[in-house]
Amino acid sequence: MKNLRWSRELTLVVLLLCLFGAASILEPKFVTMRAQTLLATHLWELALVAIPMLLIVITAGIDLSVGSIVALSAVSFGLMFERNVPPVVAVGLTVLVGTVLGSLNGWFVTKMKVHPLLVTLATLAAFRGMAEGISTARAISGYPDWLLNALQGPTPIVLFALVATGTHLVMTQTYFGRWVVAIGTEENVSRFSRIPVDRVKQWLYGFSGLVCGIAAVLLVARNNTAKADMATGLELEAITAVVLGGASIHGGKGRVTGLVLGLLLIHETREFVSWHWKQNELSLIVIGSLLILTVLLENIAERRKDRKPKVAITATENP
Amino acid sequence: MKNLLSILALAVVIVGCSGGDSAKSEAPKESGSKQITVAMLPKKKGVPYFTSCSEGAMEAAKELGNVELIYDGPTSGDAADAVKLIDQWTAQGVDVIAVSPNDPAVLGPAMKRARDAGIKVLTWDADADAANREFLVNQATPEEIGNSLVDAMAKDLGGDSATGDVAIVTASLTAANQNEWIKFMKVRLAKYPGLKLVATKPSNEDQKLAFSVTQDLMKVYPGLKGVFAISSVAFPGAAEAIKQAGKSGKVLVTGLSTPNDMKTYVKEDVVKSVILWNTKDLGYLTIFAARALADGKLKAGDTTLSAGRLGEKKVVGDNVMLGGTITFDKANIDEFDF
Repeated sequence: MKNLRWSRELTLVVLLLCLFGAASILEPKFVTMRAQTLLATHLWELALVAIPMLLIVITAGIDLSVGSIVALSAVSFGLMFERNVPPVVAVGLTVLVGTVLGSLNGWFVTKMKVHPLLVTLATLAAFRGMAEGISTARAISGYPDWLLNALQGPTPIVLFALVATGTHLVMTQTYFGRWVVAIGTEENVSRFSRIPVDRVKQWLYGFSGLVCGIAAVLLVARNNTAKADMATGLELEAITAVVLGGASIHGGKGRVTGLVLGLLLIHETREFVSWHWKQNELSLIVIGSLLILTVLLENIAERRKDRKPKVAITATENP
Repeated sequence: MKNLLSILALAVVIVGCSGGDSAKSEAPKESGSKQITVAMLPKKKGVPYFTSCSEGAMEAAKELGNVELIYDGPTSGDAADAVKLIDQWTAQGVDVIAVSPNDPAVLGPAMKRARDAGIKVLTWDADADAANREFLVNQATPEEIGNSLVDAMAKDLGGDSATGDVAIVTASLTAANQNEWIKFMKVRLAKYPGLKLVATKPSNEDQKLAFSVTQDLMKVYPGLKGVFAISSVAFPGAAEAIKQAGKSGKVLVTGLSTPNDMKTYVKEDVVKSVILWNTKDLGYLTIFAARALADGKLKAGDTTLSAGRLGEKKVVGDNVMLGGTITFDKANIDEFDF
């Protein structure tokens, strides 16, 4: 047990095993492949959006506007479709819309030096308002089946796998990844060390927008509808997953592996609670408790780790 | 490590114990047919209208004795959350899913997935694409409702010779049954040449939005005499706007609501007539229809359905009809409590 480093990933795996253990006794059907496949359908937009959110949180920033970017991109997609823009072009343009919106956040953060919380709180409201405005709060439906089918099934999973793996590699293997962590750890030192802080941030907010654009297209395809009130509250779900995955909200800490496990735990908990107790709102309470439980478990583990050497030192000092 | 393990053990125990308690509802009573599970989805959970429907449903489930009822829905009223629940019930393999779709386009694919998995799907309260469900439990025909609304408004504004501008505050512009009612309201309005429909505005199942939309309507149309607030959420919102503007009695509002929700407004003369079908009976009938559907007793071509204390109910095409509206006013509203 000594050389096993207690990491957030380990905590999450233990909790997941507990959950599946409990589930296989209480609700055997829950742990079947068929059920899991069906339940997983609704996870991917959140999973995608959480990845750039992780990177932004690691730089000690935050992006509260992701849900609104998804909504505004989704509505743009719907409107383009309505105006007979070829679907494939509309998909491309939607991703572009998302990227532009995200980059706008980045511009305010880096050039205007406004705190990301303020910038994205403002764009959270503004983008949602624009989505409602340009769509006149209508729902835009009626997409061709081939398009809906192409964007469902394995497509979201493949996209998520690509983005997650790519991000993991960038974070662990490249200078860019180290810069992201350095900025979150000590921004001023990073600037003195000639790390292009602003450029990195600009990229990350743009990346967040791009992924939101992709999520928007997937969301429209899954719901067969583009509507201004889509993805409300997505930002908080994404931040919850990021924090549960072990990222520090103060920056400098966080891993894609932790995030993926955090997402999985949130998803399975939510579905299981709603499945077993048949009251879907209960899952909110449980996820809140889960977050506290995880932090608690780790604090205990940390304290134990700290205690040992202290005992050793006092022992040598007082013979 | 000991600490840690004990906390984990505790967590498992908590999960385990509370699981035991929630056991499978009441023990099944005597009945010939097998135990079935019916999942009932309201548009929005926690609003009095749907809660009162669920009371009727529970009553029916208890009376039948062999129906386990799951009543759950999005507290946000978000269609995407409703889809998650339908998929979950499909994964659980319930016998019947009864849906009140808040957005038929969004819920359609999930309802289709449920049917593909061999689950019987009903709609109640609101309809979806007929291909995605077998029957609709219909509270009242759109024509009955449209006529009742317009007639009540005309009566409150002075009968056949009523004059003035009227406006509609609807749920959302995509809500299927509201749109049907509006269609018949327009037809009926032709009977009263003095009444002029000036606007139809959405409130998206949001009371605050209904409030501000009504405020705007009063500003834009000074000749406004009446507002039809035709969702259970829009109605109190519109009434509150009129009350706060000090126009009680000058601008009338009518609509569909549970009596308890509108009681104070009726007593304060902001609202003269509240229209509704019997919501408890709607939930009750839905469960009887679900049971009959699962047993193969309700099938295409049937013209009647035997529904417990409601007696024989008419089946028209693929609609199980509840039928009839009630008008609540100052004189009778205290007699109803839901």
